Amino acid sequence: MKQRRLKWIMLVFALSAIMTLGACKKKVAPPPPPPPPPPAAPTASLSASPNTVDKGGSTTLTWQTTNATDISIDGIGAVQPNGSQQVTPADSTTYHLTAKGPGGTQEATARVTVNAPAPPPTPQASATEEELFSQTVKDIFFEYDKFDVRPDQQAALQGDIDFLKQHASVRFTIEGHCDERGSTEYNLALGDNRANGVKNALVQGGVSADRIKTISYGKEKPFCTQSTEECWQQNRRGHFVYQK
Amino acid sequence: MKLFLSWTIALLLLLSLPTWAQQDWIRTGTGLGVEKVRLAVPDFKASTQDPKSPELLKVFNDTLWNDLDNAGIFDMVSKSFYPLEVPGSPADVKFEAWSSPPPNSSMLAFGNLGISGANVTVQGWLYDVKNVTSPQVLGKQYQDGATSDAVRTIAHKFADEIIFRLGGGIPGIAESKIFFVSSRSGHKEIWAMDYDGANQRALTHLGSISLSPRISPDGSRLAFSSLTKSSWEILMYSLDLDRMVTFPKFGGTNLSPAWSADGTKLAFSSSRSGDSEIYVMDSSGANLKRITSFKGPDVSPVWNRKTSAQIAWVSGRSGLPQIYTMEADGTNVQRLTDEGYAVSPAWSPNGQFLVFSWIRHYGPGAPGAQDIYIMDIVSKQWVQLTHDGGRNDFPSWSPDGRHIIFQSSRAGGDQIWTMLADGTNQKRLTTAGSNTQPNWSWK
Amino acid sequence: MAAAEIFFEHERWGRNLAWSAGFHVAIAASILAYTVIAPGSRGEGWGAGGGGDAMGVTLVSTVPLPANQVQTQNVLANESKGLSQSLPKPEVKEPEAIPIPDTSAKKKSKAETTPTHQKPQPQPEPAEEANNVVPFGQGGPVSGPYGVFSAGGAKGGFGVTGGGGDFGSRYAWYVRVVQQKVSENWLKYEVDPRIAEAQRVYITFDVVRDGRPANVQVEQSSGVPSLDQSAVRAIQRIDTFGPLPSDYSGNKVSVEFWFDYKR
Repeated sequence: MKQRRLKWIMLVFALSAIMTLGACKKKVAPPPPPPPPPPAAPTASLSASPNTVDKGGSTTLTWQTTNATDISIDGIGAVQPNGSQQVTPADSTTYHLTAKGPGGTQEATARVTVNAPAPPPTPQASATEEELFSQTVKDIFFEYDKFDVRPDQQAALQGDIDFLKQHASVRFTIEGHCDERGSTEYNLALGDNRANGVKNALVQGGVSADRIKTISYGKEKPFCTQSTEECWQQNRRGHFVYQK
Repeated sequence: MKLFLSWTIALLLLLSLPTWAQQDWIRTGTGLGVEKVRLAVPDFKASTQDPKSPELLKVFNDTLWNDLDNAGIFDMVSKSFYPLEVPGSPADVKFEAWSSPPPNSSMLAFGNLGISGANVTVQGWLYDVKNVTSPQVLGKQYQDGATSDAVRTIAHKFADEIIFRLGGGIPGIAESKIFFVSSRSGHKEIWAMDYDGANQRALTHLGSISLSPRISPDGSRLAFSSLTKSSWEILMYSLDLDRMVTFPKFGGTNLSPAWSADGTKLAFSSSRSGDSEIYVMDSSGANLKRITSFKGPDVSPVWNRKTSAQIAWVSGRSGLPQIYTMEADGTNVQRLTDEGYAVSPAWSPNGQFLVFSWIRHYGPGAPGAQDIYIMDIVSKQWVQLTHDGGRNDFPSWSPDGRHIIFQSSRAGGDQIWTMLADGTNQKRLTTAGSNTQPNWSWK
Repeated sequence: MAAAEIFFEHERWGRNLAWSAGFHVAIAASILAYTVIAPGSRGEGWGAGGGGDAMGVTLVSTVPLPANQVQTQNVLANESKGLSQSLPKPEVKEPEAIPIPDTSAKKKSKAETTPTHQKPQPQPEPAEEANNVVPFGQGGPVSGPYGVFSAGGAKGGFGVTGGGGDFGSRYAWYVRVVQQKVSENWLKYEVDPRIAEAQRVYITFDVVRDGRPANVQVEQSSGVPSLDQSAVRAIQRIDTFGPLPSDYSGNKVSVEFWFDYKR
């Protein structure tokens, strides 16, 4: 009996020792650290001075950010957290600044208004071939009922030949036109002769014929409609049209 | 034997006397007066009581009167001279009333119009009122649906019959058609209308610029020139099928097609060789042949309408455009006009005359009126037909050779006008938009 | 046999000859008597109103011939290709003078030169004339009545009594058409300009069923060849007068047309 009781005490004692030991060990682990405080949110501000310019004029963008690591402005690119830059917008623009940081993302905008009136400065980049063509190649004007190139048009013709030889890949059409006074059918034939007359003169000057197309419009597509000598002369022409 | 022969001869002579007498003879001569026939055309009467009668009668009477008045061969007796009683059928005709003054007419056209159900019946007579014993020249009956258009056609047919009989065997033109260019839809398209300006309608809807319509002699096809994407080409429209039909393209500027009188050939102007020249081809477009070779614009060919053996055309080879003729193979070139700016020739159906448009004084500063002229081809004598200002161009002959249509800008914009071949009776036919280049059918 | 016949004829020759001669004389005499007795000489027969009922209806006092618009030899225009028969007609049938009076001065001088220039013209006029006669006439010798008529004298008489058949009275309007068309197509300037006035020329022709003129003949010359020719040409130019009236039973009608020329 006593022996049985003794074993029972010993068991309890062992169990509690184990438990206590375990517990002691647990007690040794350090308490979990408290969550770290959240990082500061980035701030951003953007301004343009002046915020209205005439076309072609420039303005200065100024910005400030805090708590940001990645700052960019649309149209400019990545920038320093604080800074300023001069820009020349072609049209009214809203500049967009984005500041990214550990605390998040912040945006800022600044609007610049561009006043149009001032015409854009002439040839900016390189002028296109078509623009060059219409500026340089001159129409050839004719006498009444004539389809041969008259002396005072020779200079224009020569200028045309020079340009066309320089730009050897240009293809174009010559339209023959007449003034309103003649008869529909005859004017179509005459316009055709005018277009061909100019073509032949060009070919003789060294322009290859397969670049040239001709068509007659007679008096069907006039450049002006007044019944005056000036308008009639305006309509009597071989007109050059660039072919894309 | 001889005696017997003599008797026989004598007997034959005697016997043949009466047969000579029976030969039907007309004896007449010059200097007897060839003034126009005085024709009275009272309104046709209604032979039935029908609510539609008055409207159809009006269309019929107006059309009949206009056709006969336009024919150019009658002296129409004014309706204000007519007796009060107007005949509707032969029994009603009072000869005295018509053949003596005030109407003083030689011929009387009268009749009636009746409607039964959906059909209309028209009876018409032409009477010689100076000939009481046998007055009837014509007696006709027509039947068709009771519509305005049908009644108009009946009036045209009856008028043509009268014109054929009294005009010496030349058919009337009341059923002929005119083809022209109109810009009223926004683009220059080819249109058609009756000879008196009625029923104007568009034939093409190409949305480009279409010019120079010319109808074939049999009326089945219409050739014209149109601006395609790259050039002016000759296009063909079929009136039988009511649509465009294919036709070869030639490149260059192809203009002013013209049919030969038998309809087998087309002449036209083409610059496919680099300079505009006159070409001839089959009406299918095959067998192309060039027949001129002058430097300078050559355009507007037209065949001799009687023989198709010659072609007249406009050439600018000596400067301002002039009218020339040549054989249909290109030989024997003759110049017809000697000055000014002459264009748009049209050959008369009898082969004798050319009408054309002429600016006789042309050049810087000269206002230069542009008028229609008629020229006798052999003698080269000419007569000016229009004098009322404006630009008058593109004359075209009627099939009976008595009328000419043309375009004129005298009233502001370009419109189509008609006149008798001697320049009288000028009347406007179109009003809407700009209407040019008329071409009269061949029958 | 032969001998006998000769003998026979020889014997009766005198008597038969006498009979024959006498008979012929009698006929001739009666013909002559007929002409004298019968009403109206040839001229009257075709007078403006005397001659047949044909003309009575449509006659009017003389009106100058319609000034033809533009007159033509229409040589260039059509002949060469066998157009001989239907030389075209100037369409402008207007009787009143058209602006032409302006150019009449021009025309007169041209008319004077045209007759002489006619010969050298490339389109042969003589050829035209020759061509035209043959296709028109049914070729060959003229038919009966003409032959007899040209024997002279007898014509007027026969024509008159026969009357114009009744064609003229029944179809006065057709007669008028014939008159108008021939007058329209007569180009006076084809006559030699030196002639001021001439006798009448009488032309005859037939109008067949479909209205075409045929068998054109100069029945009595005016004495001026160019006038005769211009008259013949007037008819040759006409394609048709229009078909004969449908209720007319004959196959053709014969027309006698006279041309009075006064410059």
